[in-house]
Amino acid sequence: MIRHLFKLIWNRKKSNFLLIAEIFFCFLVLFGVLSLVMYNIRNYTKPLGFKHDNVWLLTMRPSTDSTAQNRQSLEQVLQRVRAFPEVSQASLISSNAPFAFSQMNNSFSYGKVKDIDADIYEVQDEYKDVMQLQVSQGRWFSAQDNASNYEPIVINRAFQQKLFGQEDAIGKLIQGVDSTTFQVVGITDYFRAGSEYAAEEPASFTRINIQKRPDYFWNELLIRVKPGAGVDFEERMVKEISGIGKDWTLEVATLEKMRQNKAKLTLVPMIALGLVCGFLIFNVALGLFGVLWYNINSRRSEIGLRRALGAASGQIYRQFIGEVLVMATLGLILGVVFAVQLPLLQVFQVESAVYNIAIISAVVIIYLLTVVCAFYPSRQAAAIHPAVALHEE
Amino acid sequence: MITLKNIEKVYQTKTIETVALHNVNLVVPKGEFVSIMGPSGCGKSTLLNIMGLLDAPTNGVVEIAGTPIQKYKDGELAKIRNHKIGFVFQSYHLINDLSVLDNVELPLLYRSSMSAAERRTRALTALEKVGLSARTKHFPSQLSGGQRQRVAIARALIGQPEIILADEPTGNLDSVMGEEIMNILLTLNREDGTTIVMVTHDENMANKTERLIRFFDGQQVADSRVFDFQKV
Repeated sequence: MIRHLFKLIWNRKKSNFLLIAEIFFCFLVLFGVLSLVMYNIRNYTKPLGFKHDNVWLLTMRPSTDSTAQNRQSLEQVLQRVRAFPEVSQASLISSNAPFAFSQMNNSFSYGKVKDIDADIYEVQDEYKDVMQLQVSQGRWFSAQDNASNYEPIVINRAFQQKLFGQEDAIGKLIQGVDSTTFQVVGITDYFRAGSEYAAEEPASFTRINIQKRPDYFWNELLIRVKPGAGVDFEERMVKEISGIGKDWTLEVATLEKMRQNKAKLTLVPMIALGLVCGFLIFNVALGLFGVLWYNINSRRSEIGLRRALGAASGQIYRQFIGEVLVMATLGLILGVVFAVQLPLLQVFQVESAVYNIAIISAVVIIYLLTVVCAFYPSRQAAAIHPAVALHEE
Repeated sequence: MITLKNIEKVYQTKTIETVALHNVNLVVPKGEFVSIMGPSGCGKSTLLNIMGLLDAPTNGVVEIAGTPIQKYKDGELAKIRNHKIGFVFQSYHLINDLSVLDNVELPLLYRSSMSAAERRTRALTALEKVGLSARTKHFPSQLSGGQRQRVAIARALIGQPEIILADEPTGNLDSVMGEEIMNILLTLNREDGTTIVMVTHDENMANKTERLIRFFDGQQVADSRVFDFQKV
């Protein structure tokens, strides 16, 4: 019977072409959207490498250009913030705090491996406690680094694999683009500060030693507060800091709020695409339903004939469902041939699993869609009275 | 082979009740070639549909090979149609998108136990019997009316049915083609012993059959023996 159905569809290829093409394009759009969704879901389920709850970002913008005065105030602010009983720990950072909209990166080289780009985060020793980072190999920055001949650097696993491959990275010296030599002191397994939906990219931490750079002003401070610290404490803290850094503009944001803002950047286009895709699928479903309805009405005498020749109503029902599945299969084969090129050619550097799951999901959805659309018209076909259908001819 | 007892068929709409058949009692013995005649709308096709289990009577009993079938379900009726009955229609009812060979094979598709190779062999044999073995790959639109009807006959006989029900098989054909088709049916009846019930408007064709039954206004008004064939 399956061969018969394929033959029937093939012999009616001209009239079935549009339907097969519609299924093919529907599959491609669905595959694209599902790939994006799968990519984001897979990233979302992976560890961030840090904990952002109860962490605040204090941004300080001095109104004067007097670096010496600002630096003095900054150190006082740092001391005062750490002295609050509501604060667990605080760390100065470069302007690319987790979930911030700014990025800093640098190129690094090791031996024959040249110019590997990695995000670079300038942080103080306290950053590990503020963000509750886990160093899986080596160590985090400490006072012992003050005496080091090289700049200490902590890198994440993705960076280690890109730069060193299977080689042990701890203690190795790497070159930055400005000829600074860094010594790898530690490795974290994960660090994805961009967004929960972003992939793990090479990242590195360099140490802020405020004594070494007396003329530099860091204007962002990450603060881990104790659970329960709320708006009252925020107001009190800002008021006290305003007293130290006179005429400074101060802004406090929670990392949780920043996370939500960053997530919107991914979720909004994804939802928009999902809606467009949903609308397309709805249209395809209506098209399928209409075409099948028309097909069945124009094939009433054939249905009557098949009943006369010995087909039970269930067989008619299965035949029409089968025909739709055959058409869906032809459209899907074409679609899958295109879709598998993405994992095979490693397009967009996305894991093959993302594409494979998207292909399988899109195939299942298309089959479900076609069966749902074919269900009612096929039942109608099965209910056609053979004597009436044959007489109509 | 086919027994109809007190058959009544009434078509009911909201406002009108139409009696298509009234108190029809008929026995068609195995191997007989019967023709049914009557004016349009007298119930001939309805009778054929009831005999072919395509329609159920409002009242009465239909027996096929001595078995009453009124309690049979759709699947069982379909099986009887597939194994015991072959249909030939005035307008051929061939599927235009299938080749001659595929059209002929169609009834055997509903026999799950049969292999594709056996279906093919039997289809070729059936086509040879109706003289169309050279047209197996043609499509219905490439054939003349007479050839299409021969394909329909091959399709009717491929399942080796005991009964062939023919609804005006020569109605759309000229006299020469009609004669050809009639000869094929006569051969089937004489050589294979197939029971044939044929509805016709053509007195000449009816006179070639063994028995002629006349209908008028849904009732059987005459039943006469034309002559006895010398069966092979």
